Order: sequence, then C-alpha cells, then structure tokens
Amino acid sequence: MAPAATLDVHPPNGPPTAEPSAGQPKSQKTMTKAERRELQEKQRAAKAAKTAVNGVNGKTPGKPKDQAASTGGAAKRAPEAQPKTAAPAAVRAAEKAKAGQASTTTDTMGKNQARGLLIFSHFGLPKPVNAAKGDIHPAIARLALQFSTFKITGANARCIATLTAFKTIIQDYVTPPNHTLSRHLMTYLSPQINHLVAARPMSVTMGNAIRQLKLDISGTDFDLPEQDAKDALCRQIDTYIHERIIIADQVIQETAGNKIKDGDVILTYARSSVVEKVLLEAHASGRKFSAIVVDSRPMLEGKRLVAILSEAGIQCTYLLLPALGSVMSEVSTVFIGAHSIHSNGAVYSRAGTALVAMMAKRHSVPVVVCCETYKFSETIQLDSFTKNELAPLGDLFSSFPNNKPRESLTLENQPNLEILNPLYDLTPPTCVTAVVTEVGVIPPNSISSIPVALGRLL
Amino acid sequence: MAPEPQNIPGHRAVETLVAKLRRRQVVGSREAALETAIVLRQVVSKARFTNIQQLITVIREVGRRLAEAQPKEHSVGNTVRRVLHNVREEYNSATKGSAASRNVYSIGKFVLQGQPRKQSGGAAKSDGRITLKENDPDDQDSFARALKPVLMEAIQDVLDELETVYDNVSKNAKDHVHSDEIILTIGHSKTVEAFLKSAGHYRNYTVIVAETAPSYQGHEMARSLSAAGISTFLVPDSSIFAIMSRVNKVILGAHAILANGGLFAISGALLAATAARAHSTPVVVCAGQFKLTPLWNLYHEYGALDFADPSSVLGFEEGKLVERVDVVNPYYDYVGPELVDVFITNDGDHPPSSVYRLIKETYDDDDHEL
Repeated sequence: MAPAATLDVHPPNGPPTAEPSAGQPKSQKTMTKAERRELQEKQRAAKAAKTAVNGVNGKTPGKPKDQAASTGGAAKRAPEAQPKTAAPAAVRAAEKAKAGQASTTTDTMGKNQARGLLIFSHFGLPKPVNAAKGDIHPAIARLALQFSTFKITGANARCIATLTAFKTIIQDYVTPPNHTLSRHLMTYLSPQINHLVAARPMSVTMGNAIRQLKLDISGTDFDLPEQDAKDALCRQIDTYIHERIIIADQVIQETAGNKIKDGDVILTYARSSVVEKVLLEAHASGRKFSAIVVDSRPMLEGKRLVAILSEAGIQCTYLLLPALGSVMSEVSTVFIGAHSIHSNGAVYSRAGTALVAMMAKRHSVPVVVCCETYKFSETIQLDSFTKNELAPLGDLFSSFPNNKPRESLTLENQPNLEILNPLYDLTPPTCVTAVVTEVGVIPPNSISSIPVALGRLL
Repeated sequence: MAPEPQNIPGHRAVETLVAKLRRRQVVGSREAALETAIVLRQVVSKARFTNIQQLITVIREVGRRLAEAQPKEHSVGNTVRRVLHNVREEYNSATKGSAASRNVYSIGKFVLQGQPRKQSGGAAKSDGRITLKENDPDDQDSFARALKPVLMEAIQDVLDELETVYDNVSKNAKDHVHSDEIILTIGHSKTVEAFLKSAGHYRNYTVIVAETAPSYQGHEMARSLSAAGISTFLVPDSSIFAIMSRVNKVILGAHAILANGGLFAISGALLAATAARAHSTPVVVCAGQFKLTPLWNLYHEYGALDFADPSSVLGFEEGKLVERVDVVNPYYDYVGPELVDVFITNDGDHPPSSVYRLIKETYDDDDHEL
C-alpha cells in the first residue's frame, strides 16, 4: 500500500510532473493559475475515485513490491520514507477516497513489517550500478565498476584512482563555445562524480581531493589558452597526489618507524596501505620485530597484508578478531590506519578498528594511528551510525572458510532475518594514543588545530 | 587405596566415556554433564562397598579419570563433585538425620545457619533413619543394599536438574527483556536460545547476533531465532563496537563459571563484554548451575586457551602462507567478573560477587581436587 501512496503524493502547489500526461492540450506554463488548479482538482478527484474503486486490489501489488525492494536492497531508504509519507498520505486518502479502512490497516501492517529495519534504514545499501546515463566518460564508467565490485579499496587507493581518471577526463575535455573552462569544467565533472558516488559512497579523501580540484579549476587564469589550462590543472593534480599522499606517506614511514624497536610485537588490523609501508620500511632498515595481523569479515583484507609482510621476511601471526583477547597481552604497540579523522580526534576506519583500539587501551598498549593530513574531515561524528556503508550481501570477498558447509554460511535475507555488514566504524579519541601525520606526531585532541596551524583550508 | 581400573564396577562404561571425551565426540557442556551423571549412576549401582569412604573413593577415582580425559570440559568434574556432595548429604541424613554438613571449617556453614538449606530432596525422602551397619563382617553387602536406593535418588536429582536447565533458566525471561529492546548475543548457546525464545513469546524485541568467526555459530543462532519469529539481525564481529551504542543488553552464554565470578565463554565474548562496559550496557550471562566450577587461579587468560583447528582461520588453499605464518585459533575467552552484571541460572539470578557462595553450597571442599 505504502509505495502506491508515495507515488500518489505530489507537492501541494506544484503541478504533478510525474503524471503520464496523455495529450495535455496546453503546456503547464501557458495555462493560467485557475486553469492549473482546475486541472489539479480534476486529477485528484480521478485518482480518489480510482483508489476508492480499487481499494485493496490497488494496495496488494504494492506490498510485494515493498518486500522486493527491501530485499533487493536498492530502496533501503524507501522503508524510511514510507512511514513518514504513509501517515499524511493515509490521512489524505482517508479524507478523499473514503476508503480509509483499507488504507490505514494495510498501512500499519506495512509499518510493523518495516519496524525492525527502521533503525538501520539510513545506512543505504549500494545501489546496483545502472547503465551510464548521459555522457559518462569511459574512464569513469570503468572506475565506478571497479569501486562497486571492490576491486579498488582503501582511502588512498580510491583517491589516487579518482584523480588519475579526472586527469584523463580533463585532457579529453573540450570547452564548448561561449563557455569558459573555469566555469564549465566543473559542471561537466559533476555528473561523472555523481556516477562514482552511485557506485559507492564517496570517501572523505575523494571529497577533499575534489574540493581542492574545484578550487584549482575556479582559480585557472581566464586568459590561458585551453591546452595550457588543462596542463596546468593536470600538473596541480599531480602535485596534490605527490605532496599530500606519496611524500606524506614517506614522512610517516620514517616517523612511525622510529616508534618500532627491536624485539617489538606490532599488532595491526585489516590492511592499511600506510601501515603496510611503515612495517616494510622498518623491516628494510634492519629492525627486528614480529607482526600480528588481526582480520575480520566482511572483507578479510588482512590476508593480503600477511602475504606481503611474510614475503618480505617479517615473522607474522594471523588471527581473527574474536581471538584478540588472547594475544593482546603480548603486544607492544598497535598501528592502525584510518579512512578519515574527525576534528575531535575520532578515527573513522574499517569496522573492527574500534574493538582493537578498545582492547589495546584495556591492556595499556599504545595505539598509533597513521594518517595523512589530507584525510582530516571538518565534521564531527558521534557514533558509527551517522555515516556508514553496508557491504553487499553474498560472498563477494570469499571470506568463509572452506571447511564449513556452504549452506550454513550463505544466509539470505528472510522474514525476520536481516544481514548487515557495516564496513566502517568510529574509534573514540580516548582510545587513541597518538596520530602520526606528515607534520608530526600529534595527540588526537589537537587534530582540529592542525589545518589552522598549517594555514590551509583542509 | 585407589582401586584398579578393572575393579571399578561398570568400568566399561567409564572407559567408553573417557574415550569419547578424549576424542571430543561429546559436544556441549550439558551433554558431557548428562553422560557423566549416567555413567556415575551405573558405577554406583554396581558398586560394592562396606562403608561410605569406599564408595566416595570409587566415585572420585572415576571422576578423576573422566576429568583428565578432557580437562577443558569443566562440567564433567562439576557433575562428579555434585554427585559426591549429594551422596555425602544422603549418607549424613540417613545416619544422623540432620542436614548438617560434614565440614566444620566451612564459611558456608555460617551462611547457611539460620537459612533453610537448599532442598536436594535428601532429608525429606528418607523416612527416618535407616539402620546402617558399616563394615559388617557377616553381611558385606548390607550397608550398600540399604543405602543404594537413596543414592540412586540423589543421582537422579542431578539428572533431573540437568534435564530441566533450559526451562528453569527461561522461567523469568520475560522479566528481563522488555518490548522494543535490542539485544546483542554471540555464539550459539542453547541456554541463551531457550531464554530468548521464551521471552519472544511475551515480548516483541530485536536480537542482533554476531557471527563469531571462525566457528560461525552465530549463523545457526540467527537461523533458529528468526524461525521462532524473533526479528533478528546477523552482523560480523567487526561491527560489535559500531552497533553497541544502540544495544540495550548483551546476553552471553558460558562454558564454565569460575569461583571468582569470571567465566570462560566462546572467543569473542570478551570483545562484546568490553565493548558493553565501554558503553555502560548491562551484560547478562545465562548458564545452568552445573557450569559452576570451584577451580580458580591467577592466569585465567591462559587457562581458557583451548586451540581449535587453524584451517578455519587460514585454510590450506592459501598454500604458501600456511608454512610461513603462525595461525592462532583459541576457542574460549576469559571474561573477568568486573565485566558481568548478573548470572541467570536455573537456580535464580546471582551477581558475580556471590558466585563463591553458590560454590560453597553446591560442592564440598574436599572435592575441589578430585
């Protein structure tokens, strides 16, 4: 019932643009106000008559659609929207159609069904990447596919991939006549960015990089010939990547590497590109230490890290997250990476990091976060619910062990059973001992003053 | 005088159970306790003894062999201690007609004086005193014959209690869970499952089940709860901290409850309990009283360790990694008493600080070391 109602709802004063208007004699603009209102009333009356006639029939096709939508996951926001709009829609339908009985009862049924899902409904499952609408550059289409299938993961990797794709786009871009590059390029890039966001929600690193790019574009010299302007932009992008990611990582490697002493047992969680570099660098410079890699579903990225570290000759131990309590007493330092850091020092990172940091704090083990300054976010998040991402269902990452029977592990969404795989969580600043950035080692409470101290916006 | 293994009556049954325990064919602490009680019943029924001390020695010998077969399965030893305690109690009530404990040094005696003793059916059932002749030279079996019926009843009490554990734990489930609550649980404890299903009859609430890798018992639990009509979410262990801010209660099952109020639980329980403490969320442990263990030391983090198959963590399909990397797969975690708020047992609700008193009441001091 509810979906049918939402489709019927239209803004009170605007003309119903979603209506399949068959053969309207005049366009909306040319009609006078009175004529428009008359048309609206006619359409509303027709609809009310339809709902009065159809009653339950019209509502039941809506119900299976409701279920299909919630299991398909594409309309995760729909259950949230439905109870909100269901109430005013139900009131209106009851007034107009005088079929209030049918609509309100099916309404409450729909609400009870969605009640368990409401609390997580804002997470938003990734929508299936539909065929590219409009002019999507092939590089962006490819990148979006790689994002949605998790072939490229990690804040740094995604940002570098995005910027590299943008460089290609900028080089292929041709300013249309009567437009300036500095004004038009951004409008040209917007649908590309939206396509990427539709594949997977944007990471903070991508957001910061794009913001810097927008700044650069709007600052391009008006008089510059087009090719020079494009080259300048590409150079700026290259500088951004080089300075704020590559060089920053090298400085962090050295600084954090100094915190590793001979005989240490270093614990890390999942796979952070920065921590991987730190450990490899420390090993290459001759320090003798051993590593414990803690891993967890849904992504099981730690296996890859273990392969790389053991290839380099570091003695590694591998375990899953629940076993953490048994080994934490042996650990000397915990190194974790971050997706982003908020102004209050809270670390937004792969799901499970908060548990690692909390257990380390309980055993008085220092927790060192390795994070470049371009990952700083100006917002403050209070818990892991405000902003999060769900991994798609199914065994996308082949994360189940082979020695367990398959049917017991591949659970689908059933009535009363829902599977959630949040990808991120928030580590409170109290659990973090220090943050290593390219500008130094700072305590988590001072994160907000770093951009100001550096004279930068981000 | 320790009897030879072959001289223990019913030793074949004992050997069978020892083999099953050693091969870990007995799965679950309640199963182990039930099998132990059945074997002990057989042993006692076939035993020949002329005084009580002989019987107790026989039972202790059996208990020691069973406990050594699988030292991590604490419910075996607990059942033996329980049976010993009941046997002694029956004997005391039969000879002296009072329910006083043999121990004069027990602090439990001070606690119990003035309190109605927990009825294990001993004094009420034996009508009056049985005339017992210990060490009778003429009729060696008279003592045993007279006492055996009462002992059988005592062991049957233990069996009955084991069989009704789930019902008794879930008795007050609806008082502990209110409507629209969100409860977090991990692993697949049958006690917790019965508790939640019983509450589900009266209340409408949501359960979030953590997968508990690498055994993935959470999947079974989620399937069973959702089939019972309780709205369930299945999440990986990595998101326990993330969702904890919305969780109202954490309900855990236990493998063994230690004398200091701590417990051994499936690995992952420590993460859930610590995250709950960080969010000031109450932690409830549902367990039967047969899990109470009088053992206690300072090194529980190591005492809990029972390593399971590492191929569930890193399988042989990883090939090269397997030979270069150490893989750790502990099955149990130790959760300290400061992290638990209440133990819901088949004998009522108890805070962790009073577990020592329960142990004093349930077992005899002599039996702590079998």
